Amino acid sequence: MSTAGRVVGRLNAPRPALVETAGSGEPRLVNRELVTVVREEWRVVDRWWTEEPVDRRYFEVVLESGRNVCVYRDGERSCWFTQRA
Amino acid sequence: MFPVIACLLIQGFELRVALRSRPRLSVVPAALAPEPGREPLLGAVTAAAEVAGVTSGMRLGEALATCPELVLVDPDPAGAEREWEGVLRRLEDSGFGVEPVEPGVVVFETRGVERLYGGVEAALTRALASVGPAWDPRAGAGQRRFVALAAASVARPGQAVIVEGEEERSFLEPLPLSLLPLEDERYAELEGLGVRTLGALAALPGGAVAERLGQEGKRAWSLARGGERRRVRGRSPAAELVEALSFPEAVANELTLRRAFGALLDRLLARPERSSRPFRKLALSARLVGGGSWRRTVTLREATGERGRLRSALGPKLTEIPAPVVELRLEAVELAEHTGQQLTLVAPEGEEVGVRLREGLRQVRASAGGGAVGAVVEVAPWSRIPETRALVVPRDV
Repeated sequence: MSTAGRVVGRLNAPRPALVETAGSGEPRLVNRELVTVVREEWRVVDRWWTEEPVDRRYFEVVLESGRNVCVYRDGERSCWFTQRA
Repeated sequence: MFPVIACLLIQGFELRVALRSRPRLSVVPAALAPEPGREPLLGAVTAAAEVAGVTSGMRLGEALATCPELVLVDPDPAGAEREWEGVLRRLEDSGFGVEPVEPGVVVFETRGVERLYGGVEAALTRALASVGPAWDPRAGAGQRRFVALAAASVARPGQAVIVEGEEERSFLEPLPLSLLPLEDERYAELEGLGVRTLGALAALPGGAVAERLGQEGKRAWSLARGGERRRVRGRSPAAELVEALSFPEAVANELTLRRAFGALLDRLLARPERSSRPFRKLALSARLVGGGSWRRTVTLREATGERGRLRSALGPKLTEIPAPVVELRLEAVELAEHTGQQLTLVAPEGEEVGVRLREGLRQVRASAGGGAVGAVVEVAPWSRIPETRALVVPRDV
């Protein structure tokens, strides 16, 4: 038995990204596009007291096409995502 | 005092409709087959299938491995919609303003007819009788929708269970979590934590549930405590504009089907009940050779009564019919209220823009269902985790 579920979504959910890194861990290619500048870098460590801790290393980069993109490496899952920060 | 909300429930409604032409299958392990092109998950199952370990929502392969003699029954969506409309109309004929939730579940308020029938219990008895014993309907009533649904779920066929306001918590406490609209993995997660009843879930702190299970868990927690108090909004009576054409022999030829569709469209456009109002939503359905059925509903971006536009919107659907057709039906599901559209000389502003926006949102809702229109609500704009700052919540237009 089920009731009619009402859809609730999150805004700005992260999306998986294909990222290649340089030796320092900074992104070199994002979704097969060359990174020209890393504008900013910051870390978010939160909810470490829960079973879903957050450990992210964000990079705001400018790609070869001129697009500004934000990507982060999820330290818990060891994979990359794009997200508007 | 808050009005009594009643829920009428017909368990496994779509399966019951599909089994009407094959009643002997209702006593053997049988299940509603997945629709073509959808995920291979079973629909409702018969009691015999449940005894054999098959449950609704189970993967087809797993179900057949569990019960090799399981009979798969083709769904009959057109039949289900027709029968459900019949149930709703019989309730409306008895004076209930109904709000259908899904096929087999409807809610309504009893306040308007309590004096007519002599109380809540008598009104529910009347509702059960109007639906008819063949469907094994169950009824429940309470001051909240979820309580009414839970009461109907525990009632026996033909019985009504009424839950008084002060008994709500104690009534819900021992009931199983399966009453909640949760994903399978959420049930498993809660069971893993030792939470097996609505009472156990309701006793947890809301913040902790939301932190652990997200918005879905928060909603389930709120339902386990009775859910929100929301009034029932009776539906507008559906238009009864249907044209059908039966073929002496099953037809699979697309050209013949197109001609038949053209004839149905002409007949529908000529119906005087339409009063020149344009169509907003139409349904094309077919009874297929071998007993199955097919149905597609089309919501027009802009309501229209023009033959050419209706043909180009619905005509391509004919190619999707999966088997030869013995009967083709065209139904006006929803008509627009206006009869024409006034062109504007100056750009609209103020209230006019609001009216147009609401009309657009109504079109989206009609096309994609109740949860399709959402509003963005900021919940934690200060959060360092971007996806937790705002939520998209359903919005009633």
